[in-house]
Amino acid sequence: MRVLVVEDEVRLANNIAEALRECCGFAVDCAGNGRDGAAMTEFKHYDLLLLDLMLPGQDGLSIVRQVRRRKDMTPILILTARDQPAQVVELLNAGADDYLTKPFDLGELLARAKALIRRGKGVTQPVLTVGRISLNTVEQTVRCAGELIDLSPTEYRLLEYLIFRPRAIVSARELLEHLYDYNWQHHSNVIEAHISNLRKKLRAVGEETTIVTLRGRGYRLEAPEQQQ
Amino acid sequence: MSAAANSIKTRSLSGQLIGGVLLAELLCAALFSALAFGHEMQGRRRAFDVMLRGRADSLMGAVQDAEDPEDNVTVDPTELVLPAQDVYEVLSPTGRVLGHSPGSSADQFAALSSLHTPGYFNFRAGRVHYRAVRFEGVRVIDREEHGGYRRTVTVIYASPTRDLWHGAMEAVRFYVLAGALLLAATGIVLVWFLRRRLSPLQELAAIASRVSTRSWEFVPPAAVLRASELAPIALSMEELLKGLQLAFERQRHLTGDAAHELKTSITVLKSSLQLLSMMPRTVEEYAAGLEGLLLDSERLEEVVSRMLTLARLEEAPVEETASCDLQTVVRRVSERLQPLAELKQVVLLEDCDGEACFVALPAGDADVLCSNLVVNALQHSSPKGCVSVSVQAHGAVTELRIKDQGEGIPESALPHVFERFYRADHSRSRASGGAGLGLSICKAIVERCGGTIQIQSVLGTGAEVTVTLPALPTSARL
Repeated sequence: MRVLVVEDEVRLANNIAEALRECCGFAVDCAGNGRDGAAMTEFKHYDLLLLDLMLPGQDGLSIVRQVRRRKDMTPILILTARDQPAQVVELLNAGADDYLTKPFDLGELLARAKALIRRGKGVTQPVLTVGRISLNTVEQTVRCAGELIDLSPTEYRLLEYLIFRPRAIVSARELLEHLYDYNWQHHSNVIEAHISNLRKKLRAVGEETTIVTLRGRGYRLEAPEQQQ
Repeated sequence: MSAAANSIKTRSLSGQLIGGVLLAELLCAALFSALAFGHEMQGRRRAFDVMLRGRADSLMGAVQDAEDPEDNVTVDPTELVLPAQDVYEVLSPTGRVLGHSPGSSADQFAALSSLHTPGYFNFRAGRVHYRAVRFEGVRVIDREEHGGYRRTVTVIYASPTRDLWHGAMEAVRFYVLAGALLLAATGIVLVWFLRRRLSPLQELAAIASRVSTRSWEFVPPAAVLRASELAPIALSMEELLKGLQLAFERQRHLTGDAAHELKTSITVLKSSLQLLSMMPRTVEEYAAGLEGLLLDSERLEEVVSRMLTLARLEEAPVEETASCDLQTVVRRVSERLQPLAELKQVVLLEDCDGEACFVALPAGDADVLCSNLVVNALQHSSPKGCVSVSVQAHGAVTELRIKDQGEGIPESALPHVFERFYRADHSRSRASGGAGLGLSICKAIVERCGGTIQIQSVLGTGAEVTVTLPALPTSARL
């Protein structure tokens, strides 16, 4: 998952980004002002937008409007130091999904971020299941028939992204865009290597669910027919 | 409405006006009626007197020879047609009654003859009021026989005045009725007219009573503005309320900005702490985290201390005796900030070679003023730039100039730079750590001692801050 943090307070932006990376395994990009933030939302790489309300250049509310005008459904979480009811109503009406008032609890921010991403992908529970595999987004663990599978952070992120879209074809480009931030050098063969490792680990525990490569099109998480 | 206002008994202005005018009208009508009555009575009394005299004269004509040896006279009233209620007597010079009204009582005669001077007079017999005339007349009788005897007689004739009063009342009643009718009619017209004319007053009161600290809207209606007595009140109220609203809003913004600033600083601090405690970390990570936390708390400390400085400057009384040499202060400040200038690769020049320039500022405030301005200039300078500080005495004022060659300030931002929490470019100032209070503090310091502060800037070529402070005369230097 990839998150955009638009916050002009550099220290705060870094703290949030660090927490999202460490605790949720998300790829995070930061924008220090509203204009950059608004420009970055246009790539549609993000699974969540975290916006500060008072921003130099362009304020959070206008970014929300701009995003929603494009029919972009990306969940938006607003951070604000002012919590007048009228302002909150205006924000939610403009298309924001949730808000947090400063000073907030970092743990709550992470929980809300995860919940918004889940809901953005049409899932209500933190545990996702395909075949015998169950993926816990809170613990960031993957189990096969109750048995823990040891995955690297990148493998976990790959599986998490795919499991949110079972049976759909996900291109390598999309995976790159949603799993890595801008600081990372893009090499599509890295994805192929991680997918291959993931397949091996799934096969090792006797799981028949696997990731199919569709040449030139992408990858698909497939569960065996009889278990569907 | 408050309880205090309720305890005052209110009286309607229009009610008082209407009451007053109606009272005046009533008095007028009463006076008019009384005068009319008096006038009528006077005329009627004159006519009455003439009538009285006429009847008395005809009584005189009835005096005739008594056909007795003493040649006395007598009165035979039977030949006269006189009203039955009239009372009269004819007396001889000796006081003998020669004749009298037939149906009158002894009381009436006693009252009639009680006055002995000739002329008109009034009396009362029983319940009846009379007006009477008494005169002496000479009656010549037996003119044909002996050339006539001259007999002097006194005639007293009285008639009840009841009819006189009734007649006058009857005549005046018309005026009284007409007066009352007119009074009622003008009263109604007056009430209607005053209500109508005074309606702007009520509108003004209604609009004014709707104003509160939540709703400042006060738009005087056109009718109020057309009334020359009300327009000044309405206009000055409008002005006052606008000013108040502005002040309130400014205050609210300020509180909001201060809260925003504090909340942001606390959020940074809190998130740093939480991030650090989220999972076990190495000693190096903890050390780096603690360093960051120290920076965050310093930032919070600075925001708080600047807010307190500003509050002190605005609240505390001005120290009358404070003074310092601005040259010394600038030299000290530029020495202290030299390391920062070197870090920023900026040349910091100070031009303070002139003689001492004393100003009415406490040394601490002067230091804050100079260092704020110089730090500001340094932070907005690009590497290899130059910041120059100069102090010059110009007669009654001392001028402090700080000039930088930084990116300058956009024209749209210039009027706001002294506003608290204002940042021309948020991201830059945030990165440089300012809370948007530095220039506000400078302004407060300068204005406390009656000076001025101005900022000029051309975008891209730098900014120049000019502070003028009233110079202290030599005798006042401490």
